[in-house]
Amino acid sequence: MDIQFERVSYTYQMNTPFSYQALKDINMEIKTGEFVAVVGHTGSGKSTLLQHINGLLLPTEGQVQVGNFRLSRDNKRQDLKKLREKVGVVFQYPEHQLFEETVERDISFGLKNFQVPAEETQARIASALEKVHLSDDVLQKSPFELSGGQMRRVAIAGVLAMNPEVLILDEPTAGLDPKGQHDIMNMFYDLHKTKNMTTILVTHQMNHALNYADHIFVLADGRVHMKGAPEQIFSQVESLEEANLDMPDILSLMNQINQKFGTDLCYKRQKPDELAKEIVEQLRENKPL
Amino acid sequence: MMTAIEFRDVYFRYNEDAPWVLKKFNLKIEENETVAIIGHNGSGKSTIAKLANGLLVPQAGDILVNGRKLTASNVWEIRQNIGMVFQNPENQFVGTTVRDDVAFGLENRGIPRKEMIERIHTSLTQVGMENYQNHEPHNLSGGQKQRVAIASVMATYPEILLLDEATSMLDPRGRKEILSTIHDLKEELEITMVMITHDLHEIILTDRVIVMNQGQIYKDTTVDHLFNDYQGLQSIGLSLPLTVELAIELERQYDYQFTTYPLDNEEFLEALWTSNLKE
Ligand SMILES: Nc1ncnc2c1ncn2[C@@H]1O[C@H](COP(=O)(O)OP(=O)(O)OP(=O)(O)O)[C@@H](O)[C@H]1O
Ligand SMILES: Nc1ncnc2c1ncn2[C@@H]1O[C@H](COP(=O)(O)OP(=O)(O)OP(=O)(O)O)[C@@H](O)[C@H]1O
Ligand SMILES: [Mg+2]
Ligand SMILES: [Mg+2]
Repeated sequence: MDIQFERVSYTYQMNTPFSYQALKDINMEIKTGEFVAVVGHTGSGKSTLLQHINGLLLPTEGQVQVGNFRLSRDNKRQDLKKLREKVGVVFQYPEHQLFEETVERDISFGLKNFQVPAEETQARIASALEKVHLSDDVLQKSPFELSGGQMRRVAIAGVLAMNPEVLILDEPTAGLDPKGQHDIMNMFYDLHKTKNMTTILVTHQMNHALNYADHIFVLADGRVHMKGAPEQIFSQVESLEEANLDMPDILSLMNQINQKFGTDLCYKRQKPDELAKEIVEQLRENKPL
Repeated sequence: MMTAIEFRDVYFRYNEDAPWVLKKFNLKIEENETVAIIGHNGSGKSTIAKLANGLLVPQAGDILVNGRKLTASNVWEIRQNIGMVFQNPENQFVGTTVRDDVAFGLENRGIPRKEMIERIHTSLTQVGMENYQNHEPHNLSGGQKQRVAIASVMATYPEILLLDEATSMLDPRGRKEILSTIHDLKEELEITMVMITHDLHEIILTDRVIVMNQGQIYKDTTVDHLFNDYQGLQSIGLSLPLTVELAIELERQYDYQFTTYPLDNEEFLEALWTSNLKE
């Protein structure tokens, strides 16, 4: 499902003293099967933007096209259930999407709601739990009697069980332990590759945007401030600075090494051992005799 | 020196059918210390914070705050001196506006009105939320909620500050700014600080690091020594900062030597410079 934002603006609590314009004239295009990262400072409009893709929020102005669905202010009455079956959203706070008495019922809720055959349910649940590295002892627990990171994993499992065509992730790794962050990002990437899943990731970890995304959108103050391939975005230091963002660790480290040692390292997705090798080789070459 | 928080042979489980989360758990945190608690999901970090704050009560063992044993009768009084930022800030909002939310804790502690107004202004400015005073806390962005939760707690000038992944949703720059503000306040007021975190950049700011594994202290160490046992850390679900990974590779393959593993770019460049000269 291709996704297109056309001149989208969104204002919260219109016509009240609290009215706040969170999105301003957004144009963006995401093709089926792309992996897109959306980054930006606190309050720049990322979560507001995501909620337009499955019709949780409707634009105040402009329109959003998701596959065959046209979402705008005037056509509130269309059947959004079909859309939500295909577009899965992992919310920024897992508590916002957990509500059943047990983890099992929570994960099954969406499946029932969208009439997935009962005989398939168990297999879907098992496979989703495995993807988030939870064992099946959690199934009978209340989702609210789990640690923060465990809750996050359940919320992700619930969305994955639906086999969505479009996966929307609002800071999915916040609260996960470091190994969990690594494993779960790789799992998302794998789904994206093997199932051609369109993936839209909001993240504060520039390394994740650099490593996984085909395209990055940088939001600043409700507008699209930059868009492009990761290498392109992260070479525009000044523009990033305007959006109050930093470079990914690995790039800033490589730049600093180049400056201090006169080396010529450039980023090509090196693993640490490969980068270490390059550093040593270049340092030895550069060394005055 | 006085001990700020002490756990003595503490046993805790959430209910009778559940396994023990903490079993004969002992921990001492001295006054004015800055301690990071790290560890895998479900290792017991938040449980420790909630016990220290008297929100949970152990089935056996004692918890002492500033040398006084926490009991049902003194918990309210003792909690006045403890500030806690929860893993989910939504669980702590009490005001209908951002301003009221900060005011609440101050009113509770009987701060005079004039000072209260000053503190509200200062703390909201420090977290960059001064323009949101009349907003509803529940209608803020994820990161703004964390900022307000931090402001509300900082404004009370606690003796002990417990931060449970308090900056997990902030952009890297916002996180750095806010951490440095917290540290300034810590220095000024000599606050004892416990930071629960998964962010290895955050622990750089601490004196001591406690690594939890399945309800037990796996390691009680300092930042400089934390990564000496990097294999052990990896085996319990933690990962290494890029600079440490690079340093390990340089040692392993190219005979470089690091006295301690570099935790940020500056330290890495410094170490590389020194060893490069020696080579
Ligand atoms: N329900 C609401 N009512 C009024 N204003 C809102 C509401 N939700 C968000 N806002 C405002 O809209 C702006 C954008 O919020 P949004 O949640 O989209 O930001 P974000 O980029 O996701 O930030 P973060 O990184 O902190 O999660 C913020 O200034 C926020 O205060
Ligand atoms: N309210 C609760 N009721 C029952 N069990 C709980 C509750 N909260 C946590 N637990 C369990 O207690 C254990 C420790 O949880 P705790 O929240 O202390 O972990 P944590 O180290 O903070 O993890 P995280 O990094 O995921 O936040 C976990 O196994 C968790 O499932
Ligand atoms: Mg958000
Ligand atoms: Mg926790």
